[in-house]
Formats: sequence, structure tokens, C-alpha cells
Amino acid sequence: MAAPEVHHLFHHPIADHSFSADRQTLAVARDNAVDLYARSGSGFKLHDELTGHDKTVTGVDIAPNSGKIVTCSQDRNAYVWEPSAQGWKPTLVLLRINRAATCVRWAPSETKFAVGSGARLIPVCYFEEEDNWWVSKHIKKPIRSTVTAVAWHPNSVLLAAGSTDGHARVLSSFVKGVDARPEPSPWGERLPFNTVCGEFLNNTAGWVHSVAFSPSGNALAFASHDSTLTVVYPSAPEQPPSAVISISTQVLPFMSLVWSSEDEIIAAGYNCEAYRLQGSDQGWALAGSLETKGRPGLAEAREESAFNMFRQMDLKGKSSADDTKLKTVHQNTISTIRTYQEAGGRVSKISSSGVDGRVVIWDV
Amino acid sequence: MANINWRTINIDALDPDSPANFDLSSLTPAVEPISTADVQNTSQQIRQLLRGGDNEGALQGALESAPYGADDKGKSVFKEIYLAIVLEVLQSIRQAEIAQLLSRIYSAPGGTEALDVLMKYIYKGMAQAAPASSARNITPQATGFSQVHSRGGGEGGGQAMSVLLSWHEKLVEVAGPGSIVRVMTDRRTV
Repeated sequence: MAAPEVHHLFHHPIADHSFSADRQTLAVARDNAVDLYARSGSGFKLHDELTGHDKTVTGVDIAPNSGKIVTCSQDRNAYVWEPSAQGWKPTLVLLRINRAATCVRWAPSETKFAVGSGARLIPVCYFEEEDNWWVSKHIKKPIRSTVTAVAWHPNSVLLAAGSTDGHARVLSSFVKGVDARPEPSPWGERLPFNTVCGEFLNNTAGWVHSVAFSPSGNALAFASHDSTLTVVYPSAPEQPPSAVISISTQVLPFMSLVWSSEDEIIAAGYNCEAYRLQGSDQGWALAGSLETKGRPGLAEAREESAFNMFRQMDLKGKSSADDTKLKTVHQNTISTIRTYQEAGGRVSKISSSGVDGRVVIWDV
Repeated sequence: MANINWRTINIDALDPDSPANFDLSSLTPAVEPISTADVQNTSQQIRQLLRGGDNEGALQGALESAPYGADDKGKSVFKEIYLAIVLEVLQSIRQAEIAQLLSRIYSAPGGTEALDVLMKYIYKGMAQAAPASSARNITPQATGFSQVHSRGGGEGGGQAMSVLLSWHEKLVEVAGPGSIVRVMTDRRTV
């Protein structure tokens, strides 16, 4: 396994990051702006800045095919940025929310996107040709608290949402005229807007940090603040799920998760490292960390001469040069992980970003 | 009109969509209600096991039947009874046995759940031990020699605390910080 590719962009938390489809452009949410980095050689160089939000940007997502960037912020707004001759042109989205927007994701069809918000609702936004405007429809019904995470089903109709009320929900975001009628799936057959296809809660009912559908869309995983990861396998529409598997881990809670295949999940969070979880509808288990032992930086830190040690003790009153450094690649909480490279339904590389201002690309 | 203070009106109560107006029980997993007979039965069984010298069985029995359902009024006393029993069990187990016992529970099915419950009891025990000793500290002593007394009281609480701390240390080694986070997150209290 190759060593992870580390890009230390700045000393500032990264709320969210997204790569363009060709992986040459990296967008990171930094404070009130979104920084666009362009790949140059083995590193990334600051290339452009998207300014317009006047509070912390909480989410950024680049649509892989159209290249449009959607951003959302605590200022209750979302913008869709389109490339033009004069640079990136923002279009305001009418979210109609009275609390902060927390996260945003494009649907795989790229005709819609969903925004999580503190207003206990999910605006599903689509483009209205007549008015030349992005408008939103609200998914309101059973949501009792802030929506912290949204994730799309491959059919672009079903939407998973994790909330601070401890529930992960599967909802329909079918918009007439925008979506084609979806194929029936175990989640449901007829799916008018705001159909609740499932509401899931684990025993400890911690607030949900991250949700994700499996590549096929036939399983849902969510990670919550009780250090658990729960995987739900639906059986048939309006039936209880065939299996709900909750793994209580020994580590600190996961903030983000991706499915690398039908039987493997990569999750990362407050432990500052990414973990691999493997299983099926028979059961799941934590399989280990993505960190490789004997990574170059790590060996350096360990190999220290006695002379050096005593000199450090003499000069600084401590035995090692920097004992504040974590043994993980990320030096603080990992807030987002995303798929970086995928082939034949199997993810081979993921990217992670965190509070330490690093973006790291890992081999899975 | 002038005497209405608009700022004190609870606007959440007037808004049908407000979080103040929905049933909070839907946010938590359902817990089974618990009856007096249940509590008496299980606590008797645990005491019996304890008297018979089966500390491990007593602990496991206690952790499996945590009285989550005793949140209603008048039933919180059950939780106190339970806590006292669990603390008794914890104190009766020798230091040297703790680590082995915990890893045995952990590897059993439902083990993480049981250890989370144990963590809840340890924290509850700590919370209970602290105010009791501080209450003794503030007993007025006209002589000015209150220190002697408070130290005595502090040591009594301190011993219980040191037992709990050593359990806590061993438990974190087995169940990890995840267990602590779960205790903080969980709405089902012991």
C-alpha cells in the first residue's frame, strides 16, 4: 500500500472539500469563502476564491459532469457557481430557511441538490427554466431537529438524511418534471415527494453525523455521536428492515463515512484516522485502521538519538522535540471523507479533510 | 396593552411546528416499563449470587437488567437501589480480577452493551460519592478543627472513589473511549 498523499493547505479547519471529476481542482470550504486549488505537480496551488457568503461556509460540492459548484453557509444561503468568461458566476438559491444550512450534496443526476438545515427541514433545489432560478421544495415532515447530513441514492430520488434527533431517514425527493419515475426498490414503489421510506434509530440514539447509501442503494449506513455505526438493510416497501446492524466501536465517534464497496465502509472522525469496517447483512465488524505502520514521517519521529533526547531535555525541559504531534496523518478531527477514485463499483482511493487544514488522499 | 411584556411570551408554544410542541418520547428508543416486583426479584437474585461468592454472575446479572424504565415519578428510587447493589458488587471484586473479568464480559455476546451499562454505573457512583463527602465537609464546626472530620469523611468517600476509578481505568482499556462517549450520548440513564 502506497503512502497517503498529504496536502497541508493551511492552518484552518476545512468544513468540507470536493474534487472535480478530473481531480485537478479541489474546492475547500474555509471560513466565509470557498478556496479553489488547482493541481500543480505533486501539490495543490491556490487558484481562485469564491466569495459571497458572509458566514462560515458549511458545505461545498462539485457536480462531476457539469462542473457546477454548489456551496451553502450558516448565512442561510446557497449559491450555485458556474464557470464563465469572467470567472465563477454565482446564482443565489431560494432556500427559504430561517436557520443555518449545514450540508449540501448534488444528486447523481445533477439536476437537483439537497441542503441540510437547522430549520428542521431539507430544501430540495432544482432549476426552474422559466424564471431562470434555483428554487427549492421543502421536505419537512418527520424531521424533529437539525439535519446534519444528506446523501443521495443512485436513483436521484431517494434521499438519506441524518439528524440531531438521532434518526437517520430515507425520504423521497421526487420532483415532477425534473425526475423520471424511479424503479421500485426495497425502499418503496410509489414515491411522491416527502414519502418517508424509513426512519431508523439505534439503541443509544446519538445524533447522526453522517449517512450514506451503499453503491447499489440497497443498504444505508449511518454514523452517530455514540461511537456507533449502524447499517440498515431494507426488506420490502412498508416492511420493517430485514436487518439493522449496529456496531459499537471502541474509538471516538465517526464524523464521515463512505462505502468503498457493498461489503466495506471507510469511516473517520474524532480519532483523526480512517477505519475500515467490513461485513454484510449477517453482521459488521471493525477491521482496522487505514494508517500504515512504518509510514516515513512516523519512523523519523521515533528514531531519536540519546544525544538528541538529552539535549532537548536540557534546552526545553522535555524529552522529545515535538510531543504534541499525533501519530496519525491528520492532526485533528477528520470532518469529511469522499470517494476519490473508483473503478468497477470498487473505491480504490478516498480523500479526507479535517480540522487541521489537511487534505489527504488514501489508498483503500 | 401596555402591561404585556412581549418579550416574555413563549412564542414556541404558539408555533405548531415548534420543537416545544412534539412528543419528545419519539426521539428516544422505547424502554420497557419496570415494575416493583421486577426490581425486587432481580435485586434479590443479585444479592444471592453475591452472597454465594459468584461475583461475576452478580455483576453480569446486574448489568443485563438495568432499570431504564424507572424514569417515571416514584420509581426513581429503584435506580438508587440498583446503584447501591452494583456498587456493592464492584467493591466485592478484587482489583486483580477486574481486567480478566471485563475482557470475559466484552467477548461475550452483548458484551459492549453490558460494559456501557457498567460505565454508566461507574459515573453515577462517582457523581453520588462526591456530593456526599462535600456535604460532610460543610458541617459547621465551631471549634475550627473541622479539617479532622472532613478528612475522615473524605477518606470514606475516597475509598469508594478509588474503587470506581480503578474500575474506570480497566474498563476504558477494554471498551475504549467509545464507551465513555456512548454513556454521555445515551438518553437511557441508570
